[in-house]
Amino acid sequence: MISVVGTDPPWNGLRGAERHAACLLAAREGDRTALGVIVAELSPLVWHIARGVGLDRAAAEDVTQQVWLSLLRNLHSLTEPRALVGWLGITAKREAVRTHKRTVAQVELTPEAADQVVSSEPMPETELLRGERDRKLWKAFHALSQRCQELLRLTVLDGRAEYTGVAEAMKMPRGSIGPTRGRCLKNLRDRYEDGDGGT
Amino acid sequence: MNNEDGRDEDLPPGESARWLAEVAHLVDDLDPVPPGLVELCQFAIDIEGLDDEVEFEALRLADGAQLAGVRGDSPGAITFYVGDLTVMVNITRTGEHQRIDGWLVPAGEHGVEVRVVDHDTANTTADEGGRFVLTEVPRGTTQIRVNLAGGRPRTVVTPAIVF
Repeated sequence: MISVVGTDPPWNGLRGAERHAACLLAAREGDRTALGVIVAELSPLVWHIARGVGLDRAAAEDVTQQVWLSLLRNLHSLTEPRALVGWLGITAKREAVRTHKRTVAQVELTPEAADQVVSSEPMPETELLRGERDRKLWKAFHALSQRCQELLRLTVLDGRAEYTGVAEAMKMPRGSIGPTRGRCLKNLRDRYEDGDGGT
Repeated sequence: MNNEDGRDEDLPPGESARWLAEVAHLVDDLDPVPPGLVELCQFAIDIEGLDDEVEFEALRLADGAQLAGVRGDSPGAITFYVGDLTVMVNITRTGEHQRIDGWLVPAGEHGVEVRVVDHDTANTTADEGGRFVLTEVPRGTTQIRVNLAGGRPRTVVTPAIVF
């Protein structure tokens, strides 16, 4: 479809699920700018879900691209455009778990080995970890169980207006994650405070 | 000190909020989306001529491989697949350009396009054995698209890769 010159795109001024739905509908009509907007605004969600599953940064990059190609494949079959973030969350998780299984499959995991896999999480670019505080936080967070890491990342994302509904779509309704989330946060604090001894 | 199962005491609400803010700091500031990834993904899905009449699929790297492993100075042979379709390419550096030798299975006179960011798309057609060659392809972020011959319209693409 040819857009009329001078007309604002239909998603202008919209927010959250309404905005994504308007972009998705425009993309179905052949508006490739609309797809670009979706990718720009929702890539952080896909990225952090992939990272939360335990993928390193290179693997998370591959998964992020794969998820966007999946959206293109399913552009015309998504039944509920307003539920785009939920669809992306589920798709990102499935792709990331699939990739993670493939990379970990070679190693026969004992619980001890699993701990080492978690703790060997490569640091992000060193310039991002500016101070001792950030390094301690990074270390404490990656010493948590994989489930806690995923849950806490998802809690932060779901708390943002543009991603509302992603946790629910991923079968993590607010009510049931409350107590677990509390334990994960407490573990994070304990590990951070224990981190003084250089463990 | 560490009680992984610690049901005994919860953090007071103020402290919960503080540690949740620490997680947000980690997510946003310490582990951001890598520079260039959004642009790479936008390029990968900015594909002409797709509508609901065209069956579209994305090729994957063969099991265990990562795009990071095929980037850089000597990309070499790469295999992609989706369903029953396999796309094998061999990338050779030729000065400022790249040469792409490819083999499509099942064989057929399929249309092949090589898209490189900021350059014209290079086109060719595979021979009846499924083989194709493109020389003097510019280097850069590259995606290969195959339009399958015969039957209803079907198009497949590789991920975009930085060569």
